[in-house]
Amino acid sequence: MLSRQLLTEALGRALSTGADYAEVYAEHTRNKTINLVAGKTDKIGDGVVSGVGIRIFKGTRCVCGCASSLDSQAVLDCASRVAQALQEATQVEHVVLRERLFGDVHPIKIVPAGVENSYKIDFMRQMCQAAMSYSDEISQVTGSFLEADHRILIATSEGLLAQDRQIRTRVSVSSVASGGGENQTGTVSPGARKGLELFEDLNPAELGREASAQAVTMLHAGYITGGTMPVAIENGFGGVIFHEACGHSLEASCVALGQSQFAGMLGEQIANPKVTAIDDGTIPNGWGSVNIDDEGTPSRKNVLIEKGVLKTYMVDKLNGRRMGMESTGSSRRQGYQYEPTSRMTNTYIAAGEDRDEDIIASIEYGLYAKKMGGGSVNPVTGQFNFAVNEGYIIRNGKICEPVRGASLIGKGSDIIRDIDMVGSKVARAQGMCGASSGSIPTDVGQPLIRVSSITVGGR
Amino acid sequence: MTYQEFKDAVVRYAGQRQIGEYELYFTERDSAKVEIYKEEIKSYKTESGMGICFRCIADGKAGYASTENLTAEEAESLVLRAWDNAVSIESEEECFIHEPGDSYAAVEQDGGAAPQGTRLVEAALGLQRELYQADARVIDGTQSFVAYGEEKYAICNSKGLDLEDRVSYSICYAMPLVSEGGEMYDGLKDKMGRLEDFDLKAIAGEAVEDAVSTIGAGGVSSGSYNVVFSNRVMATLLAAYAPVFSAEAAQQGMSLLNGREGEKIAADMVTITDDPRYEGGVVKRTFDGEGVAAYEKNVVEQGRLVTLLHNLKTAAAAGVKSTGNASKASYSSVVGVSPFLFYIQPVEGTLEDILAQAGEGIYVTEVSGLHAGTNSVTGDFSLSSKGFLVKEGRKGVPVKNFTVSGNFFTLLKDIQGVGADLDFLGSNFGSPSVLVPALAVAGE
Repeated sequence: MLSRQLLTEALGRALSTGADYAEVYAEHTRNKTINLVAGKTDKIGDGVVSGVGIRIFKGTRCVCGCASSLDSQAVLDCASRVAQALQEATQVEHVVLRERLFGDVHPIKIVPAGVENSYKIDFMRQMCQAAMSYSDEISQVTGSFLEADHRILIATSEGLLAQDRQIRTRVSVSSVASGGGENQTGTVSPGARKGLELFEDLNPAELGREASAQAVTMLHAGYITGGTMPVAIENGFGGVIFHEACGHSLEASCVALGQSQFAGMLGEQIANPKVTAIDDGTIPNGWGSVNIDDEGTPSRKNVLIEKGVLKTYMVDKLNGRRMGMESTGSSRRQGYQYEPTSRMTNTYIAAGEDRDEDIIASIEYGLYAKKMGGGSVNPVTGQFNFAVNEGYIIRNGKICEPVRGASLIGKGSDIIRDIDMVGSKVARAQGMCGASSGSIPTDVGQPLIRVSSITVGGR
Repeated sequence: MTYQEFKDAVVRYAGQRQIGEYELYFTERDSAKVEIYKEEIKSYKTESGMGICFRCIADGKAGYASTENLTAEEAESLVLRAWDNAVSIESEEECFIHEPGDSYAAVEQDGGAAPQGTRLVEAALGLQRELYQADARVIDGTQSFVAYGEEKYAICNSKGLDLEDRVSYSICYAMPLVSEGGEMYDGLKDKMGRLEDFDLKAIAGEAVEDAVSTIGAGGVSSGSYNVVFSNRVMATLLAAYAPVFSAEAAQQGMSLLNGREGEKIAADMVTITDDPRYEGGVVKRTFDGEGVAAYEKNVVEQGRLVTLLHNLKTAAAAGVKSTGNASKASYSSVVGVSPFLFYIQPVEGTLEDILAQAGEGIYVTEVSGLHAGTNSVTGDFSLSSKGFLVKEGRKGVPVKNFTVSGNFFTLLKDIQGVGADLDFLGSNFGSPSVLVPALAVAGE
């Protein structure tokens, strides 16, 4: 993407005013999105994003700049602009770059950009047609296809030169069920760090029917009466609860600044002993997987919580300086325009030993959250909320009628103590996580879990 | 390659391919941002970016391709990709390249000029100092940032349209952290406008008050309450449900307002306006994402739905004129529909008057989790909230950890009070304080 000579010169310029670390991040990304409405292609987005982001550190201070160009002059200008902001010394630094190849554990069989639109649209059409014909109550179906071919290069004043090429593919189908002046929706959206071979793993008609089944079920559901109750949260996207309630508070971006509910608690029992939670960026072809993080550190499997004890935070280089900790390979950024910081990759609660049927049977009156929607958290207070897209009342240990409008709210440090049953079947699901360093692909996951008591919002 | 050279190359390739109708949309952005932690610069960031989108029409269908990579090779690829994408479109609605001839307003931007030298750094450090001075309970972890940005939007097309808007603005965020009794509380105040107009002491004061006022907040019993949404919370809700006013969403069956123009959809006192050049607004625009002149319009007038928001495609499908609301979230986005500066018109009374009108209930000052807790297709919302109890018509003790649930369409009809205290959230949405009776609250 950029020549070794240009990188060396840019790093030299960036270091020239007294910085103790410099980094050049270059990106060339090709994105495509295809949207179908009512079974017909409606819009296609097709873009190339390319540019450079340069950072320098002096102690725990950071200066960064970016330019939407990979042109040599633009890269050097960006380096000079960054250096100008520091001006603490004059030094001549010559960086010797040694290229490292970290290998790629995410094989890609079919690079999406090389395949014509019609092939992608055919798959989507099957998905949408199955969704539409599921029931007369389905009033609209939209589908989307997304491909990203994200190439990155990182060169640092420590001499590192590394590259990665991340190809991801995702499809989504959303159904609207209508009746009596009301709408309800259902969505399914699987993806992976894969090319178009993703299609081989998926049954388009099944995906469409799943989205429509959810919409129709919810159209006939009544509103839940809010209150505090035990909740069983299903595997897969149910893992969003850990992602929001705890994951964000374990990112160095808030721990280093003392803004986390879990700051200063390494080695302490912060969760129920049944809870082991992991962030693993090395899962082959995982949606949130990376070979190297966006500072060039190889990704790894980080056990965050082991049997309830806090083992590590997710750490990037800059926040690591504040915390006196090494990077855990957790630095991520959407692209060159964003400053990287510690983020999650594929985060999940590990399998436990409880049987799913025992978990449901243990609840006299509560909520079974089959499909979670998205959520959000304030890492400072740990206060989170998320939507239950498909929920059912549990009565006398049995899953009963569907309910709509439920949301779960609470505090992260409370809920991980209250997870008192953990099933054995872990499943992961895909999401986009938004934070200061942009929107990045992450997986959430867990087995079926029971939270002994949580506030359920309803009407 | 310069933008001009790239543009010439694109026009040449389009000509060679005999593409008759096309448009180039160009944005450029320069910005600087200073973040403070403790009493030091934590991060100083400068950004210089631009992007180009080529849109062409093939048999009435629009194809897009965008890039940031200005090379001759890319110019050719852009044209080929856009054409390829256009011929893949199957939806029947016709897309258009806009003809010149609209009358475009001349505007004076008043976002201010680029801060010189160390002005930005000084403002950020000053804001941080004011935060620490505002209250003894303010602790490290408190952050401030100040940013300045300039943006240029330009559109030119094969029919001879050639337009440009330039905007500039400063933004500051004060994010204090306070500690009491072993618990941490965070506050926030942001402001957008001209750097020289920012009253740092006042901004810091409000941010710290936001944090301190929640100390000792208790829970709420579940039940039905009169709810007063603060002006900014109501603006947040309006932002979340703005898509329901889009004719595109309506035509696709994704908005319950489809076909309801002329009907009563809200209480009499509700008027909702979209004004691209709101007097006192920071960002003023003269044309939309397709180059149609942008103008002020009431979308809801005294409770009646006057019009949905249209771009050229949705207007043609509905047999009306575009309302100049074609939107592009970024240069690379496909054209959609959205408002410019969308706000509920102020009516009467201060916040205190609205609280007095509520009598007993809850005053909601913060909602979170909007992307999960709101659904514009169904209108349902269920939002994690913070605020204060309202007792005997006055603001009472702070409360937290409860959800307020309802449906946006029902809420619009149920509104019983709209204050005069209009405030804006950034540069896109605004509202006065609003009283809604009998909303479901879930707490303890």
